[in-house]
Amino acid sequence: MEIIKIGAMWCPACLVMKKIWPKIEEDYNVKIKHLDLDFDEEEVKPYNVGDILPVIVIKKDGKEIKRIIGEKNYDSLKKEIDEIL
Amino acid sequence: MIYLDYSATTMTSREVLDSFVQSSTKYIGNPNSLHKLGVEANNLIAKATSQIANILGVKENEIIYTSGASESNNLALKGIAYKYQNRGKHIITTNFEHSSIYGPLTFLSELGFDVDFVESDDNGIVDLENLKNLIREDTILVSVGAINSEIGIKQPIDEIAKVIKECNNKTFFHVDITQAVGKIKLDLKNVDLASFSAHKFFGIKGIGALIKKENINIEPLIHGGKSTTIYRSGTPTLPLIVSTAKALRLAYEDIDIKYNHVLELNKYLKNELSKIDNIHINSNDLCIPHILNLSVVGIKPETFLHALEEYDVYISTQTACSKSGSHSKSVYALTHDEKIASSSIRISISYITTKDEIDKFIEIFKECKTKLTLA
Repeated sequence: MEIIKIGAMWCPACLVMKKIWPKIEEDYNVKIKHLDLDFDEEEVKPYNVGDILPVIVIKKDGKEIKRIIGEKNYDSLKKEIDEIL
Repeated sequence: MIYLDYSATTMTSREVLDSFVQSSTKYIGNPNSLHKLGVEANNLIAKATSQIANILGVKENEIIYTSGASESNNLALKGIAYKYQNRGKHIITTNFEHSSIYGPLTFLSELGFDVDFVESDDNGIVDLENLKNLIREDTILVSVGAINSEIGIKQPIDEIAKVIKECNNKTFFHVDITQAVGKIKLDLKNVDLASFSAHKFFGIKGIGALIKKENINIEPLIHGGKSTTIYRSGTPTLPLIVSTAKALRLAYEDIDIKYNHVLELNKYLKNELSKIDNIHINSNDLCIPHILNLSVVGIKPETFLHALEEYDVYISTQTACSKSGSHSKSVYALTHDEKIASSSIRISISYITTKDEIDKFIEIFKECKTKLTLA
């Protein structure tokens, strides 16, 4: 499983969720790829990000299998990830 | 044209522009030069700084001129963080701040600083009990906007300051006063640092200041020789400083009369717009009257903004956590309603706004709303 998080420097929800990522990485033994909407424009483009940040893209075998949008706390994020495992 | 976007920026007033032009042409010396022209320029800056300090109720040496509020916010947050990181790395802010607060805080969090968000009540006001619980021994800074730029929420700055100092008297209190200066009376005696920009009160774009109380140290962001202070290098921007003093003086002339005029317009506008179907007023009675945030439920804010633009009417969509401005985290934090948060617009009024403009605006607003509802 791959997890890609798309956020921005100016996004408070991204800052709120910052503390969650080390726990998620540990829980699922995965290294999250952090992309910035403004600074990683080319890499972000293919994900066709909508209006709300952050965007969490979960991939399996290179294919996107789930997209989680907006601010989530640790429990609800974990629940959403668990649903697809 | 009907301009109702004064919280985004204001047009420079003629008198302010005149003072800029006159000081630019008459005082040609570099204020740091030792010759007569330099001394004259330096004296004029001192006079302007003294006027600004008097109006804001601070000391002359507590004013650091910057390029605007964004730089001031960066200087306050990073300046305190770099200087006091040995004391602690914990910073607290709210869910209702400007991007120039979240940007540096995100940057600092990458450097290992720990950022917490204080909860707010149903009106968006900082929850003082939660703040008490969040403040720790290693909390070096609390940053709160005096007035939220999107909804107009006015925070109880003195009460917040009291809680901070009671919990940890070494914790500094930074207040972003960008949307407050020139609109309401200010009392900065319990504040350690305060940021603002001149272009929000009919001054010139490109100048702002950070008020930093004299007992506090900060690390500069721009190093070099001494300018007007040691905390921000660069040739002192005499014409901008002089014009800011002028703009500030004009803004605070008859401030009560100006405030009451805006309040009356706001009440009238709010009352008229409330009668329209599917309009949800997001700004409450605790907000300043200069900002009226509302949701045109079911219509994207940018669509409504452009529909008004067709009539030469200008308002704003002001949002955080949304790349196109169609979802507002601030409005969501206040209403907990996704539909309302995805359709909010900001109307911002000034003391120069007229009742006639508001009447025309209401008429055009209704017309746009009908057209877009039928579309």
